[in-house]
Amino acid sequence: MFTDKEPHGVFFLIDNKSFYASCEAVERGFNPLKVPMVVISEARNTNGGLILATSPAAKAMYNIKANVSRKRDLPIDPRLLIVPPRMNLYIKKNLQVNGIFAKFAAEEDILPYSIDESLVDMTHSWHLFGDSPKDVARLMQKTVRTELGLYTTVGIGDNPVQAKIALDIYAKHDADLIGEINYESVPDKIWKIKHLTDVWGIGSRTEKRLNSLRIFNMNELAHANPYMLKQEIGIIGSQLFATAWGVDRSNMKYKHVTKSASIGNSQVLPRDYNQKIEIETVIKEIGEQVAARLRSRNKLTTHLSLSIGFSFAEATGNEKNGFSHTIVIEPTNEDSVITSQLLFLFEKNWVNQSVRNIAVYGSGLVENQGQQLNIFDTPTRQIQNAKLNGVVDDIHKKFGFTKLVYATSLKEGGTAIDRAKLVGGHSGGNSYE
Amino acid sequence: MNKDLDVIVSRISLLFKRISYTQYWIEVVNDKYDKSYNVFFCQQKKGSHLRSTPVHKIDEYKLEYLEEVITGFRKQSNLTIKYVGFTGEVWPNSQKKIQWEKNHLE
Repeated sequence: MFTDKEPHGVFFLIDNKSFYASCEAVERGFNPLKVPMVVISEARNTNGGLILATSPAAKAMYNIKANVSRKRDLPIDPRLLIVPPRMNLYIKKNLQVNGIFAKFAAEEDILPYSIDESLVDMTHSWHLFGDSPKDVARLMQKTVRTELGLYTTVGIGDNPVQAKIALDIYAKHDADLIGEINYESVPDKIWKIKHLTDVWGIGSRTEKRLNSLRIFNMNELAHANPYMLKQEIGIIGSQLFATAWGVDRSNMKYKHVTKSASIGNSQVLPRDYNQKIEIETVIKEIGEQVAARLRSRNKLTTHLSLSIGFSFAEATGNEKNGFSHTIVIEPTNEDSVITSQLLFLFEKNWVNQSVRNIAVYGSGLVENQGQQLNIFDTPTRQIQNAKLNGVVDDIHKKFGFTKLVYATSLKEGGTAIDRAKLVGGHSGGNSYE
Repeated sequence: MNKDLDVIVSRISLLFKRISYTQYWIEVVNDKYDKSYNVFFCQQKKGSHLRSTPVHKIDEYKLEYLEEVITGFRKQSNLTIKYVGFTGEVWPNSQKKIQWEKNHLE
């Protein structure tokens, strides 16, 4: 078979079952599988509460889907436990879980894929721990359960994509919470998948494009003409064809080099903002955040983008649902320059729409190797400005962000102070520990 | 007064709103995995879901110390305290059982 020449190994993709909910259950001394619990972010911009995670028991009892449901969709039931998120706790637990994996494989063979999933290359070490990869997977599950109280699901494959599909399709419904795919079982396990969107890498848009090529399931995808796929869908077409045959040539140890990095921040506002001054306050705050991040990485930006998303009511019945513009500027990381350019972009393009999303990005990054003289400013003034920004950064680093903020952040509409406590957009929970 | 008790009392005073038809209680958990005692503030409006907010993590993992904190807390608040993960254990000082029966969710 042609797949004989493809890379063979033993890969585990390990996922924590309902990770956030399980962490919270363990913290409360409960069994993660038994307790009906939902983790809900009730920040002001979540429109009444957003479900971040649902424990397996709650999923079974109320048929809730994670991270799309809103709090208003929850049934009112006295048995249901509602808890706030603590992102810092989940990060700590994730590090502990990866620490356990490091007992089974070399550190460079572990690739954290997301906060609750890790890819582990067990090719060189699985035989040290058991007679078969499945035995080793079971041992790893047991170790995580006894040391941290968490349940894990494991997908085993000859390469990463097989492990991922084994995890997504088979492990989650298996009694042992283990799924296995290898090159020999690809026809049996991948081609029999009925819904294309169940497979990693295929979303509803890709499904539509495949449907238009008369491909409706994995079997048809695997037996389509690869040249036709490439011609119609491009390089992604070839990738999908490889996925259908369980082929994956990626190298975990290869470090991805970003061609053009950018630094940016975005946020969803807690309500629709209509007043110019309020919107400008938030644009300034995000601009300053981006500038501070540029300084901490010792970079200067040459391209500044501002994206504004209109409110739902504004976007319906209107052709545009927002605007996004980029401006080329002299390399800088100074608060005042960046915010004034952003406000210029905003004023030029905004015509009284109500706003819900704001994003600021600085791209075209260059190393900060000294300042460019400017005929409009005296050199001493320029140096003073740069020093001032540095001092503000130092104070933030030493005492925390909220200890020194611009007075505008205290005005109506400012969000910087509330957002300072967030980790990954949700409550970090550190104010409680 | 010790620092852990201060933190617990001050945080609970912010959360305890005394809304009618609402039960309030404190949950103290023996976290065997993290070697700590976790304190949660729970509230449940009649017929509604249970809300549990983390209050504090006591890192000193000794029952003597926990007993001291709880005795101190008892002097300041009459909130019910429920224990999780302590089945079979007794308070070192008073020799009373900590948790009478295992929670069905443990």
